Amino acid sequence: MGKKQAPGRIQSFALYAVLTLGSVAMLMPFFWMISTALKTESDIFTIPIKWIPQKIVFDNFTRAFEVVPILKYMFNTFVMAVLKIGGEVFVSALVAYGFARYQFKSKNVLFMILLATMMLPYEVTMIPTFIIWSNLGFSDSYVPLVLPAYFGSATFIFFLRMYFETFPRELEESAVIDGARPIHIFVRIFIPLSKAALMTIALWSFMGTWNDLLGQLIYINSPSKYTIQLGLASFSNMTGETLWGPLMAASFVALLPIIFLLLFAQRYFTEGIKMTGIKG
Amino acid sequence: MNRQRTGFYFVLPWLIGFVLFTLFPLIAALYISFTEWSIIGNPVFIGAGNFVKIFKDPMFYESLWITVKYAIFAVPLTIATAFTVAVLLNNNLRLVGVFRTIYYMPAIVSGVAVAIVFKWVLDPNYGVINSFLAIFGIRGPNWLYDPNWVLPSYLVMAVWGASGGLLTYLVGLKDIPRELYESAEIDGAGTLRKIRHITIPMITPVIFYNLIMGLIAAFRKFTDAYILGGAGNQGTFYMVYLYDQAFSFYKMGYATALAWILFVIILTLTIIINVTRKYWVHT
Amino acid sequence: MARFIKSAFLVHVVAVVFLLSACSGNVNTACGGGKNHFIFATWAAGDELKEFNEIVRQVNENAGGEYTIETLSIPSDYYIKISTLISSKNTPDFFWMTQELISKYAELGAIADLTDFLNNSEKYNPERFYEGVIASAFHEGKYYGVPWIANPVMVYYNKNLFDEAGVPYPDPADDWTWDEFIEIAKKLTVVKKDANNNDYQQYGIVIDGWPNIETFIWAGGGDIIADNGTDILLDTEESLKGLDILNEILVSGITPSFSEVSSLGSNNVWFEKQRVAMFMGGIQDNFERKIAKLPEDQQFEIGYAPMPVGLDGSAHAFDWTASTVMDVACSNNPVALKALEAMTDGFLKWKIASPLKGQVSEITNIDPLKAPALPTIEESLRIARSANYIPEWNEINNRLWVELYSGMLNNPGEFDYRSKAKEIAEYARELIAQRK
Repeated sequence: MGKKQAPGRIQSFALYAVLTLGSVAMLMPFFWMISTALKTESDIFTIPIKWIPQKIVFDNFTRAFEVVPILKYMFNTFVMAVLKIGGEVFVSALVAYGFARYQFKSKNVLFMILLATMMLPYEVTMIPTFIIWSNLGFSDSYVPLVLPAYFGSATFIFFLRMYFETFPRELEESAVIDGARPIHIFVRIFIPLSKAALMTIALWSFMGTWNDLLGQLIYINSPSKYTIQLGLASFSNMTGETLWGPLMAASFVALLPIIFLLLFAQRYFTEGIKMTGIKG
Repeated sequence: MNRQRTGFYFVLPWLIGFVLFTLFPLIAALYISFTEWSIIGNPVFIGAGNFVKIFKDPMFYESLWITVKYAIFAVPLTIATAFTVAVLLNNNLRLVGVFRTIYYMPAIVSGVAVAIVFKWVLDPNYGVINSFLAIFGIRGPNWLYDPNWVLPSYLVMAVWGASGGLLTYLVGLKDIPRELYESAEIDGAGTLRKIRHITIPMITPVIFYNLIMGLIAAFRKFTDAYILGGAGNQGTFYMVYLYDQAFSFYKMGYATALAWILFVIILTLTIIINVTRKYWVHT
Repeated sequence: MARFIKSAFLVHVVAVVFLLSACSGNVNTACGGGKNHFIFATWAAGDELKEFNEIVRQVNENAGGEYTIETLSIPSDYYIKISTLISSKNTPDFFWMTQELISKYAELGAIADLTDFLNNSEKYNPERFYEGVIASAFHEGKYYGVPWIANPVMVYYNKNLFDEAGVPYPDPADDWTWDEFIEIAKKLTVVKKDANNNDYQQYGIVIDGWPNIETFIWAGGGDIIADNGTDILLDTEESLKGLDILNEILVSGITPSFSEVSSLGSNNVWFEKQRVAMFMGGIQDNFERKIAKLPEDQQFEIGYAPMPVGLDGSAHAFDWTASTVMDVACSNNPVALKALEAMTDGFLKWKIASPLKGQVSEITNIDPLKAPALPTIEESLRIARSANYIPEWNEINNRLWVELYSGMLNNPGEFDYRSKAKEIAEYARELIAQRK
């Protein structure tokens, strides 16, 4: 395998410059978030807006942790995310594999149904779904939020199907000739080649759990079971007053796990050894 | 090995999940669209009453038009942006992992946080954009306070958040075999030609995916629009209108009917795109 | 395979239909779970929730086992969760409601009729409440909620800025008209210099959608909906004159433009940062505490005045009120009513201000910093007023905000608000005509 021709120094520099410029735009709202989190209350809203806090204080962080137990809620959310992620990723991959590499009579109909489930706004199925779970006896529980994950998720299946379809036919044919069972082909051949795609799905699954407010609001009652979004919602009240400083501090803390995960996941996206001659 | 059944067995877990968790609420939602239901009262069957009302409802057309206008611009913009960023980030430069994380960050914040931040970014007097323009002596528009600039405001937010699709493009780019580029380089192709003739065709499956997902997302645009609104009612996207009908006015039957119409529209567009698939998606 | 799908489908449908029909007889629907264990839903979260839970703890202690109360905190999307719970027959036994939805929930039979409870109660007899406050819980001849707060609007003003402009203070409890108010605001709209010697504009008042449009319609002597809950008064000449007052304020330059207000985050910050000399805020607003925490050179003395007198010769203060409502299932449960009373006792000692007449002095127990405001607070409670909420209120109010008020704010002087008001009035009449 040959590495991509290393870009010349001028090209590198230009690339870095462009990327850095764009980064500023991407990061600017986060910078405001951190800046607000570090400001004293009277500093937050000024004319003109101050980018750099006049005086850096950490009161907002201590205050945020007083208002709600942020770390506990983050832990709860983490537990929920971990419970969901294995099932969601693996089962979605399984189903996507079936759609991508096999032909069967009902395939197109079923796939259309799968796509269709993404098109109806969940707001209108939310209440009937809740009624069903409630009658099944699940109140104040993570189960309605976690259990469906073990049956795959339409978005992930769609993405992975598209991804698996790009693999050449030869990949399975040699294994089939060797007498391998379908599930082994899937686990031993396709999965190892799809690390980046699976990592993407895993990230989406984690982020989905981390950022879901309405679903968690409907099914969870006890504050001890609260997730991070419910915690963040506690910083504004019914009359519209918001504790901006502590909210930005808490939001920033809540973002950290995802940022770390993203950084960690990057290694799966770097150029890897490609099966030359197999793809394309 | 019966290939027919094997494929079906792989798909079975999803199908079971669909039947268990999704099917009945879907049927319920279908029924509800033929009723008048205030959520806290009992549903009252009214036949096609909701649908008749919808077709006479000016807000239905207006919110749909706002959403369509948005989709027409936002979908191509976000695809182009995400693709460009992915191409720029598909290299082995040092710190590229950090850059990729930075560019993906807009996608990791919740819609509420995005709305809050952009309310400030788009502030006509002291917001980031207008302050930046002021350096060049340009008086920035009134963004969300000017009906003509509400759509551009949301497009700015869409471009900022476009890198949500970044990972999918990176996944696709990663798998393009080096030899294709190398043989093109031997033939004397420059960067742009390589992109046009190799990268883009090879990445059409990802574009296809993002096109459909982008379309669905554009038509279902809700969270930031609900918080930020827009002057002259220009911020009332279809889902904002639907949400108000359901949860502010307690007209769940009407809202569900609106949802089904949206469903039909999205489904039709998806089928059309799917039909064109064999003409442009590389397999 | 097709048969497999079909039979699985059938089995599932049967199972789910069975589950869905297993609604009645569900223990959740009985009041207090059948054992006087009452769920009390609230939007309090964070700090407010801690204070709420303290009240619950006290009440449970004093109940001595006769009943227990459990808090259900809903930190976001409050009514979505409440309505979802109601639709799944899991209505909380008690929950807080803001005033504009009480008539809708009452109309749909989701909350209990508390008329007898109030009439038979000594402490919470309707006569003991301020009229404008208890009216918010009144629908078609019956009471459906127990208000636990009265928060009418009054005018806060910055004495330092008044002194600098040489404007005499308004009277803390006496009448001043809207014309006088506008004149004073004009005198306070001046260009000032800030710490860096740059010019900035100081305004007399900030109007950005708050105060609400009712305030101005009442100022003209009109109203949106008549007391009888059926007639629309939005397009009467009095109401339109009220809109004229709002328009005059918006074109006279005494308030920052709508697009400018949010550059300081929210309207109250303008008052705190001394960019605006007057602010119409609820009596509960904690300006005193916020300003006491500012660095000394940014502090200022706050003055108070009641809302100005309108064209009908009376002053009206919009009152933000919330009530406790009860699940219909608890209607015949005397223990539930005891719990309701005990919780209300706790609320009245907690919030500014108690909705019962004659309790103004209690306010300084809750917040000593409000002491100088007492005469104005008392007057504001006296003139407190709610709109006449009907089940169609949300739809009408939505158009009033999105089309009428926003139109006036975004385009002061050019927007034809009179036509828009008439249009919305017609719409409101259509909605009422559709009542069954």
